[in-house]
Amino acid sequence: MNAKLRDLIVTNLLAVFAGLFLSGILLLFLKINPLIVFKQAVVTMVTDKYTLGDVFLKATPLIFTALAFAFTFKANLFNIGAQGQFYMGAIVAVAVSLKLDGVVPTPVLLVVVCVLTFLAGGVVGGLIGFLKARYHANEFLVSMMSTYVALAVMNYLLRTFLKESKGEYPQTDAISNSGWIPTLIKGTRLHAGFLLAMLTAVAVWILLYKTPLGYRIRAVGSNASAAQMSGINSGRIYVAAFFISGALAGMAGFTEVNGVQHMLIQNFNPDVGSAGLGIAILANANPIGIIFASLLFGALNVAGNLMGRMPGVNVPSSIIDLMQGFVMTFVIISYFARTYLDRQRKKRELQKAVEK
Amino acid sequence: MQAPFFELRNISKYFTGVVANKDISFSIQRGEVLALLGENGAGKSTIMKILYGLYKADAGKILMEGREQKITCPKDAMALGISMIQQHFSLVPAHTVTENIILGSVHGKIDYKKCESEVKRLADQYGFEIPVDAKISELDVGVQQKVEIIKALYLNAKLLIMDEPTAVLTPQESQKLMDFVKDYVAKGNSVIFITHKLKEVMDVANRIIVMRNGEVCGDLNASETNEGELSRLMIGRELVMPEKDRQEHSGQKVRLSVKNITVEKKGETPVLKDISFEIHEGEIFGIAGVSGNGQEELCEVIWGALKADTGTISLDGQDITHLSIRGRIGKGIGYVPVDRHRDAMVMDMTLAENMMLKSSYDAKWTRHGLIDRKKLSDYTKQAISDFMIKAPGPDAQAKGLSGGNQQKALLAREVGHAGALLILNQPTRGLDLGAINNIHTTILEEQKHKKSILLVSTELSEIFKLCDRIAVMYKGSFMGIYSGDELNTEKIGLLMAGYSAKREAAKG
Amino acid sequence: MMISLLSRALMMSTPLMLGSIAEVIAERSGMMVTAIEGIFLVGAWGGFVGTYLTGSAWIGMLTAILCGLTVAAIYGSISIFMRQHQVVTGTALNILAAGFCAYFQRVLFGVPTSPLKITPLQSLSIPLLSQIPVLGPIFFQQNALTYFVYLLIPIAYIVLYKTSVGLTIRSTGENPEAVDVAGIHVNTVRFLTVLTAGVLGGLAGAFYSVGYLGMFTTNMIGGRGWIAFAICFLGNWNPKGAVIGTVVFGLAEAVAIYMQSIGGNGYFPNELFIALPYILTIVLTVARRNFNVPAKLGVAYCKES
Repeated sequence: MNAKLRDLIVTNLLAVFAGLFLSGILLLFLKINPLIVFKQAVVTMVTDKYTLGDVFLKATPLIFTALAFAFTFKANLFNIGAQGQFYMGAIVAVAVSLKLDGVVPTPVLLVVVCVLTFLAGGVVGGLIGFLKARYHANEFLVSMMSTYVALAVMNYLLRTFLKESKGEYPQTDAISNSGWIPTLIKGTRLHAGFLLAMLTAVAVWILLYKTPLGYRIRAVGSNASAAQMSGINSGRIYVAAFFISGALAGMAGFTEVNGVQHMLIQNFNPDVGSAGLGIAILANANPIGIIFASLLFGALNVAGNLMGRMPGVNVPSSIIDLMQGFVMTFVIISYFARTYLDRQRKKRELQKAVEK
Repeated sequence: MQAPFFELRNISKYFTGVVANKDISFSIQRGEVLALLGENGAGKSTIMKILYGLYKADAGKILMEGREQKITCPKDAMALGISMIQQHFSLVPAHTVTENIILGSVHGKIDYKKCESEVKRLADQYGFEIPVDAKISELDVGVQQKVEIIKALYLNAKLLIMDEPTAVLTPQESQKLMDFVKDYVAKGNSVIFITHKLKEVMDVANRIIVMRNGEVCGDLNASETNEGELSRLMIGRELVMPEKDRQEHSGQKVRLSVKNITVEKKGETPVLKDISFEIHEGEIFGIAGVSGNGQEELCEVIWGALKADTGTISLDGQDITHLSIRGRIGKGIGYVPVDRHRDAMVMDMTLAENMMLKSSYDAKWTRHGLIDRKKLSDYTKQAISDFMIKAPGPDAQAKGLSGGNQQKALLAREVGHAGALLILNQPTRGLDLGAINNIHTTILEEQKHKKSILLVSTELSEIFKLCDRIAVMYKGSFMGIYSGDELNTEKIGLLMAGYSAKREAAKG
Repeated sequence: MMISLLSRALMMSTPLMLGSIAEVIAERSGMMVTAIEGIFLVGAWGGFVGTYLTGSAWIGMLTAILCGLTVAAIYGSISIFMRQHQVVTGTALNILAAGFCAYFQRVLFGVPTSPLKITPLQSLSIPLLSQIPVLGPIFFQQNALTYFVYLLIPIAYIVLYKTSVGLTIRSTGENPEAVDVAGIHVNTVRFLTVLTAGVLGGLAGAFYSVGYLGMFTTNMIGGRGWIAFAICFLGNWNPKGAVIGTVVFGLAEAVAIYMQSIGGNGYFPNELFIALPYILTIVLTVARRNFNVPAKLGVAYCKES
């Protein structure tokens, strides 16, 4: 176990390093010295409290969407629609917050919004699970397409019912600070949503590995036929797993609207879904690993933005996608490397044992 | 003496964690039938897959007529005239017979008419009746095997390797296969016959290689040995067979009652046709037959996984026809399905987790809503020692266990919660004799505890050894229910092939 | 009006047809090409760059093919030879492709003050055939890529069902062991079908930049690759089904554009039309029965354990 854990950490670090190295090489095309900008980004991140806070801030929604993907992935199902469920959560968060703004005290408002975003994402997810259970619809395709539909719904609402009172741009009014998630550390943007995300990750871990429901979800995921034959209603499990998965993604809408943006705008965080998927892969769908992987992606994100703002150099924001894409690809390759090394080692040991 | 047709020299093969073959050497002459005898897991299939180029050997070499040959893929083997029929047929069920036979040996545009007639001619030559344009999925296993043989002959094979070819055949079909083998080697070809059945070996082989634990432990001429010697070589120790005294149960209380069960598929012949029988308390009721004649469906109907179109099922006088699987588990029914990988175990979970698969709704496994790991672990440890399961511990991955130990664990789980009725579908398929012995002992033990047992098996010896009454199944219906001593191998073989006792009597 | 609508529907179907046939070929061998969205995107980008730099749309097509081929080769190497999960691998490559195109667009062209334009492929009228009333203007006044698709459909069908290559591909998706036993390398077959999908997918991407809009933006594919992926499922994994599915989608897209042009958005929200193809996919996925899924779709082949 210890040797395996060591392998895991070493190969993952190597993969991250390789990804950054390649991205750095590509910076040379823009005649930018990667060492200088990387170093400067890291120094700023470590020394500047505000920037460091932003790393955690950026990680927060990613933890939720990564958990969303990981949860169904454990059931061998694919919820590729976390982005859409996030939009639904965001819509509900902004609509409810604006309605209750000033009507109820802050804690009540936040709890109500949190629960409702949970349900909003959950209903969308549960619907996908239902289509899978009832009509054997391919959940991969349905969840994939549901994101585009949710995006259209959001754009429609921003143009009509939720449009700001000035009526100028397709965006909502801002929520007043009584609807904000409280800041954790003064002088940063980091809000209590990060704690919520960490708690949720732990809760998901307990749910999956310590409760009978989680047990059944994993059983159905690994072998649906055996689970069905053992009296477990796999249809119900599909709906439950997708409901929870969607709900987790929906909560990202809550933390982003009430914690960061305080309003809903067009083209709102368009990458949390796919990044969450990448993070879940990075962490091998382990809820606790997801926290760390999200922080890594948050850091890449902040670093990318920092590099873009450095005076004199113009690093395009697409470097973030590049870094994340490379890191993910190398992490996937590292899975292969690990199993390969493990096998070779076992085989050598066996050969030695036989020769003796 | 001339150099042998093929010779294997000092071949070794390691898989992750297992030595599959260790320093194997033997040869085969032209015109010879060589039997490769050994228990499941002895490494017979592996060595043959190396000869056929499917696996790469870690050490050793292969010679043909004294010259060393590099066989790195099946193409190389085919070029040398080697062909192999896998135990699990390598046919594409969705494709036609002809498409399967010509796969890999045609190039460019396919002239299906021409290919079909070629295949037909070849089949006729050996007296095989094969519908050349039918889909494989529509054919019986016996016919599928003939397709495999024709596929090998189409490639002009000189050495035919057959992996457990009789496992899916009736005794009569097996006999026909033996006739083919004798006919085929008479033409100067050779056959390697992988099997664990002693009788077949004595029947058809000229020479016998016995394997155990990946090593050759005997190379004998068939004329100079006997079944007793082979059995000792193969197992490596003496086995104590469990004893059974056959009992009369008709006076006992009826446990399971199945009445007029019919299952139809749309537009096809019924899978189950009007099946009725009763099992009494403490009785072992056997169902014999070639696999694929409705046995699995019957088990699933009783288990609640398949809905019957008509008919009723009752347990201890209570109608359970419409009860869910979960409900039936609650009534004390247990089920060991034929395909444990697919239907009974979650291989990626631990042994302990597998033990609670059927009782995951039961509050006994939880404390404050969380799974009580210690209780589950203790329960599993108990099962490991009670059923002599070879496992590192309750937290071992199920997939890491050998087939025999997986099956013992499965049986332990089912025995543990099934107080009334155990449905066992081929519980010893593919296991070694030690494990089979263990499982037979368990079955007889459970009978003593007044449990009723429905045992489906394709191994006639198992049926005869354990069952109080025997039904023979053919094409979805019972050919009759007999008490154990009313039947013999020949009679049961005819029933399995669909000849009813009455019709035979009328003919005779 | 009707004629121009149908002609437009056919044009809009071209890339989906290329993409879904690419998927059919690969999936029949057991490989879901989940990197299809990324392949479309690099195709669009490669096509644009090639055309912009050389002034020749033909060279643009060639660079599009090369770009698609590269992504497919990486995808195939990881998912086939390293046996990694197909969905997971594809997702990573899609993100990478998006970053790559955006980044190198910037490297090559900086931040242009006005959008860069190329001349899109012109529609070619085929002599005589284009004179046929009704059918002529619909079918035979299209661009070269559409004509290529006319050829591709029967070729794909014949190769898949009438040749040994097709038999091998289909068998590989159904029972790779059988193919292995027959002396054919399963993974080679799969790699080649994925590469084929890369070529066709790259061309499909090029349609959007070179064949239609004459420009490149990083969001120009917007899930179209996934729709091609879906059409392959909905069309039952055969070229005929892919054609029918594509035409339905092309029509949906054309109707959406038509409705907008006649002011339908007075009655219906514009977003409804934008979402129409995606909604249609969901509805069809739910309504579709009796899938004829290749038995080993998405399962890596490993003969020794």
